Amino acid sequence: MNQPIVLGIETSCDETAVGIVRGRTLLANVIASSVEEHARFGGVVPEIASRAHLEAMQPTIMQALKIANISLRDVDAIAVTAGPGLVGALLVGVGAATGLALGLDKPMYALNHLAAHISVDFLTHAAPIEPTIALLVSGGHSSLLQVNEITDSIVKLGATMDDAAGEAFDKIARVMKLGFPGGPAIDALAHKGDETAIDFPRGLTTANDWRTRPFDFSFSGLKTAVARYIEATPDYAKANVAASFQEAIVDVLLLKSLAACKATGIDSLIIAGGVAANSRLRTLAQARCEKAGVRLRIPAPALCTDNGAMVAALGSLMVAAGRTPSPIAFDADSSLPVTTINI
Amino acid sequence: MILAIDTSTSRTSVGVIDEGVLVWSGYRDGATAHGRALPALIQEAIIGRPIAEVIVGMGPGPFTGLRIGIACARAFALAREIPLRGVCSLDAIAPHVSSKDFIITVDARRKEVYWARYKNGVRVGTPAVNFLSAIDSEGSEIFSDLYPDLLAMVALTDIVTEPIYLRHPDAVATVNR
Repeated sequence: MNQPIVLGIETSCDETAVGIVRGRTLLANVIASSVEEHARFGGVVPEIASRAHLEAMQPTIMQALKIANISLRDVDAIAVTAGPGLVGALLVGVGAATGLALGLDKPMYALNHLAAHISVDFLTHAAPIEPTIALLVSGGHSSLLQVNEITDSIVKLGATMDDAAGEAFDKIARVMKLGFPGGPAIDALAHKGDETAIDFPRGLTTANDWRTRPFDFSFSGLKTAVARYIEATPDYAKANVAASFQEAIVDVLLLKSLAACKATGIDSLIIAGGVAANSRLRTLAQARCEKAGVRLRIPAPALCTDNGAMVAALGSLMVAAGRTPSPIAFDADSSLPVTTINI
Repeated sequence: MILAIDTSTSRTSVGVIDEGVLVWSGYRDGATAHGRALPALIQEAIIGRPIAEVIVGMGPGPFTGLRIGIACARAFALAREIPLRGVCSLDAIAPHVSSKDFIITVDARRKEVYWARYKNGVRVGTPAVNFLSAIDSEGSEIFSDLYPDLLAMVALTDIVTEPIYLRHPDAVATVNR
């Protein structure tokens, strides 16, 4: 049997994204971002994002079809992000996905954005995903997960108590006047700095924290420490602050990820989400996983940030696993828990 | 047959029109129900009915519900490779009114209304958003709480290609804070 073609739609934040896969082969991954419209606000404005999604949706679908060199009639299933995310933004993607599914009379899978981030690895690495520990780090989420079966069973081990890791990057970049989004700007600047220059705090790593909340994160203390340092040091070395701040985040993310591998006896780690595109995280993860004997997989940087390929990838896995498609009428869920993989 | 969709009010309306006759129609009420209601209605509407065109109300109306209807209508038309026509939702309400000169309003939240003025049954000017008390009715009667007439949508010739928002997206640029 031919591998099924799945078209995935992602509109949970500010990227209007459409991906097309055939089995585990990526055919197209088109992203229209409204990030420039948000930059002057220092963050994503939901109504601006929702309007941009509606405007970009049809052209993005068309372009993805063109790149994949297929027509809509060739599509076997539609996949769409049902949450978590901005509800007005999600609903544009869901509206389009249901319109396509009804028009084509094809099954639709309403999927979890976070599970999709992890499943995109299936497009770049041949090995099966499960079981694995997954570190999911983005602008809206930071959690440690145990993935038993990507289409069926994800267990949450821990999550951030306050800011998401990517949010901390954005906020510190704003304090340092580096623009929005902050991740890429800090990453680039950090290359010129010394990550050992300033010893910023590692959140939730006291002996007591390791006993009571070993897999949770907290970045608000770090954020405050960096802001205080900048205030107290008018002529601070920007590159050193960027490098040291980034190191504090990356260090604690990896400490907890590897602790989760050890505690569960699972020697596999997937790092996914927008922050997984961070070059220091990728480099340090490689070194530490090698040392710990943990098999590390991180999707290509372009597949780490929000995209449609990841939604199509999870859709493809759902089809392959024989999961029941979603009902055509369902509610998008802005706070869909990661343990709910499909609706 | 023509598939007509409107999600510009608290009512999600879907109909199928065949040669000027409304052969199927259905609706669900609920200001936040569009996402769930619309696909269920369309699914029922299209059973055994070959759809050759889609008509969708482009507002004005509360944004989130409005966008669901437009996104779904556009995608359905794309999938079926059939034409899509957008119309002003207020113009689809106007045929309910038998008076010559009148004003149509629909709830815009925040105590405001979306509205347009009609003379001899034809819209004068572009729709606007205001407090109801700020509208000079010029002696015309004001009609509120009506919903678009799906059959009437087919007859509308004033084509609208983009959603009618009438409000800027809420936000204050950091540079202006």
